[in-house]
Amino acid sequence: MHGAADHSRPWTFYALAAFFALFVLFLYGPMIVIYVLSFQGPNGGLTFPLQGVSLHWFNALITQERTGDIAGAFRRSIALAAMVTVLTVVLSVMAGLAFRRRFAGAGLVFYMAIASLIMPGLFVSLGIGLVFQMLGVTPTWYGSALGAQLTWTLPYGLLIMFAVLGRFNRAYEEAASDLGASNWQRLQHVTLPIVLPGIIGVALFGFTLSYDEFPRTVLTSGSSNTLPLEIWAMTTDVTSPALFAVGTVTTVISFIVIGVALTSIALIERRRVRRAGNPGEGGTVS
Amino acid sequence: MIKNPKRGNSQVTRRRLLKSAAAGAGLAVGSGLVKGFPTIWAQNIKDVKLVQVGGSYSAIIDIGRQASKDLGFQVEMQTADHDALMNRLVNEPKTIDIADTEFFAQYYMVGRNIVQPIPVSKYKWWDKTVPIFTKGEYPDGRKVSAQGTLPYKVQYLESASAKTFAKGPTDLLSGIPTVYNADTLGIRPDLIKRKIERWSELLNPEFKGKTAIVAVPSIGIMDAAMAIESRGDLKYADKGNMTKAEIDKTISILIDAKKAGQFRAFWSTFDESVNLMASGEVVLQSMWSPAVTAVRSRNIDCYYVPLQEGYRGWGSCIAPMAHLSGIKLDAAFEYLNWYNSGWQGGFIAKQGYYSSVPDNAKKFMTADEWDYWYEGKPAKDDIKDPYGHLMEKAGRSRDGGSFWQRMGNIACWNTIMDEDRYMVRKWNEFVSA
Amino acid sequence: MKINPQSVSWLQAAPLAVVLLVFFGIPMLLVGAVSFFDYERWQIVPAFILDNYVELFQSSLTLRLYLTAIKYVVIVWILTLLIGFTVAYFLVFHVRSLTLKMGLFLLCTVPFWTSNIIRMISWIPFLGRNGVFNSALIDLGVVQEPLSFLLFSDFAVIVAYVHLNTLFMIVPIFNSMARIDPGVIEAAHDAGASRWRVIWEVVLPLSKTGIALGSIFVITLVMGDFFVVKIMSGGQSATVVSALSTEIASLQYPPAAASAVVLVVIVALIVSAILRLVDVRQELTG
Repeated sequence: MHGAADHSRPWTFYALAAFFALFVLFLYGPMIVIYVLSFQGPNGGLTFPLQGVSLHWFNALITQERTGDIAGAFRRSIALAAMVTVLTVVLSVMAGLAFRRRFAGAGLVFYMAIASLIMPGLFVSLGIGLVFQMLGVTPTWYGSALGAQLTWTLPYGLLIMFAVLGRFNRAYEEAASDLGASNWQRLQHVTLPIVLPGIIGVALFGFTLSYDEFPRTVLTSGSSNTLPLEIWAMTTDVTSPALFAVGTVTTVISFIVIGVALTSIALIERRRVRRAGNPGEGGTVS
Repeated sequence: MIKNPKRGNSQVTRRRLLKSAAAGAGLAVGSGLVKGFPTIWAQNIKDVKLVQVGGSYSAIIDIGRQASKDLGFQVEMQTADHDALMNRLVNEPKTIDIADTEFFAQYYMVGRNIVQPIPVSKYKWWDKTVPIFTKGEYPDGRKVSAQGTLPYKVQYLESASAKTFAKGPTDLLSGIPTVYNADTLGIRPDLIKRKIERWSELLNPEFKGKTAIVAVPSIGIMDAAMAIESRGDLKYADKGNMTKAEIDKTISILIDAKKAGQFRAFWSTFDESVNLMASGEVVLQSMWSPAVTAVRSRNIDCYYVPLQEGYRGWGSCIAPMAHLSGIKLDAAFEYLNWYNSGWQGGFIAKQGYYSSVPDNAKKFMTADEWDYWYEGKPAKDDIKDPYGHLMEKAGRSRDGGSFWQRMGNIACWNTIMDEDRYMVRKWNEFVSA
Repeated sequence: MKINPQSVSWLQAAPLAVVLLVFFGIPMLLVGAVSFFDYERWQIVPAFILDNYVELFQSSLTLRLYLTAIKYVVIVWILTLLIGFTVAYFLVFHVRSLTLKMGLFLLCTVPFWTSNIIRMISWIPFLGRNGVFNSALIDLGVVQEPLSFLLFSDFAVIVAYVHLNTLFMIVPIFNSMARIDPGVIEAAHDAGASRWRVIWEVVLPLSKTGIALGSIFVITLVMGDFFVVKIMSGGQSATVVSALSTEIASLQYPPAAASAVVLVVIVALIVSAILRLVDVRQELTG
């Protein structure tokens, strides 16, 4: 990479770094408002001026006073998001690999995925609800809502796999075959590891999209709310800073998860470099 | 929170209720399961779970918890915003056991047989229910305004499978009235500094850019109609059931006001209305009673103004879904009786809502609270909201006064009008103008 | 025995196709059917009438809603593209360590793990007349009166959209850029190209898949949104889907369904146009 051996940074680096910093500030700005407001005292509201300082609202989350069933909804959302992520990754990767060849019905599947992306979630929700009602099956968060969310995450997963596999150099696979690897071995040891970051991207999208999903879940969740539904319903009544406490807690958990993920990636990288002496692919994260 | 002074008795009461309900169940058509043995029945009922779904101002988790405690079976509350609620009730009725909707929704509930009627004989408190609901009258015999959907109009049914309502009292109820209130405009008296007496102030250019209306079309348009009629532009035959011409005129006035910058925002969540007021973005807006309470509990002055032209009334009711039967249905009737037996009434009173059986609610409020919330008398002690937070300082009276001063002055009721289809389209035009 | 590679592809794509068919295809046929139904006050009546579509096309409201939506889409698309491209470029080409790259990348994603609803609501105390931003401006003496247009306006809507959707632009572009062989960049530099030319003639074309994908994501997200615009404009703006949601709330399904069908067709045309410029599939199978 240009400048890899060159330790001086061009001016553009600083300019871009400054831009990036501003962007991060933009992203986190409102979050900071949330963090601050979540530490209010019992009389606090969702706007300034601040009313006291306490951990009251965090406590409220646990004791569930006046906050609806946040804990339950949170559990369900996490479980649902986990299921959606796993299914999205598996199905998207498989389908992405399938699309490397032309096969019967490829166009149909592709356009159905695009249409699924475009259709307003509210309608997917309504449609699934109606179908389930006609079939007499009860909608549940782990059934109909799961399906509804998949219609949202699978197109994203598929398109990302397209992007990732599109620039994939077949030479590696050919080399593996030449060396006598079976198809399965090739997949396991060559293809998947190279596209792993793309797969992680799909997983990330799948989780985020599911965890935060609202329109597709609103009419398919059955008698138990997911977190976004619970939050939305809460805003139709007096909302307390408990809502913001949720935001703060989620962020803290996210940072912990990321910290763990990063440390493990760093450790894996170090082990890989030590084992193979491999310079990797030019320093790109791929 | 008020402790139930009759804790010990409630066990006995429950047993008695169980016995009588069990006996009733034995006689009820179609419930072959139960043969009237309280002990066996009490065993089975432990496993019953009822899911009540309603707005978050009504389907409150604390009520569900108390009900589960008092009744011995599980009552679960699920909140849904109005749009999702209506869609769920219509499309996924089996996911709901107790429907908790506003009275005007009964047109859908009954029209599509989504809920089942309640025989008056099964409900203990009908005689003690406020006559607004039972007779459509005030105690002095005056008829309650029937503009909009008066609950009385949708209260009684001719038969179990009826899709329309009876003109007068029968012994089948379409739902049990639960919470209701008289709505008006909320203001920031500290930022307005003069008396507000008429609905027309909503359109007063003095408050340009500092007002807000609720964004729900069927309610927003009524608040607008109250303001427009008060200003003298138009006299409506029935604000709750406008003709196309009236709708057109109303919307065009609204569009003019919007273009002139009269409105700061239209709020669609309760929470928005609280924030708008609390932050001072808005000084006068359509508002709901607990929102006023919420703003006040943040030490910000907010006043729910009694206006000359009267209030906009609304009421909610609960009813068992049509698919309930057998032991679940019995539990549902149990629950309906528990609902208005007082605890719930005492709880929501502190948000400013009235119970349809005030005598029972009174048992669960202190004398001071009763005087403040229902009698309109000045509070002797500080008044707290249902969660114990300070709402009102001692010495002040409830905005608008006593129960009958407020509920006795209803100009129109929340409703869905005949020209609803047309109205929603025009409303969208207003919003996108 | 070797399985026919066509069948392998077919099997790989099948699960995804089935999920989409069951949870999307069938419900959407139902929605399509409903768009031809008639309706009265309390019931929808199965029929085959074109009234819903006719009303839709004759109403000036429709045009206004679409223009509003397109206005938002174009502005948000340009902003997210510029910001997304810059941030991705910075992360890929200027950050050297892999761990730092991933770390900064994940830093951008953490806010997305907090519910959209909460993040959106938090803009209100930030941008309001008595909010943090206005207070800061007044304290610094930049303005005398609080700026009203910051909230409940088009400005607020666009800020919220950019805030919520830039990630969807960053991820695909990041992926695309990361796959660019650094050797190509070096070659360009060695051939004497200035930095801007390198970006314009090398990086940009090679990232076009990522840009196309990001654009598709952002456009469909903004076109399909209903609650961001409702809340951030203070209910004073309406786009196609927010108007649609009002109809669904009133259980007026047929006109809402007709509206949804028209929306999907229009957005599908936009997406097809993008895909024609950048054939994502071609890159895959070519």
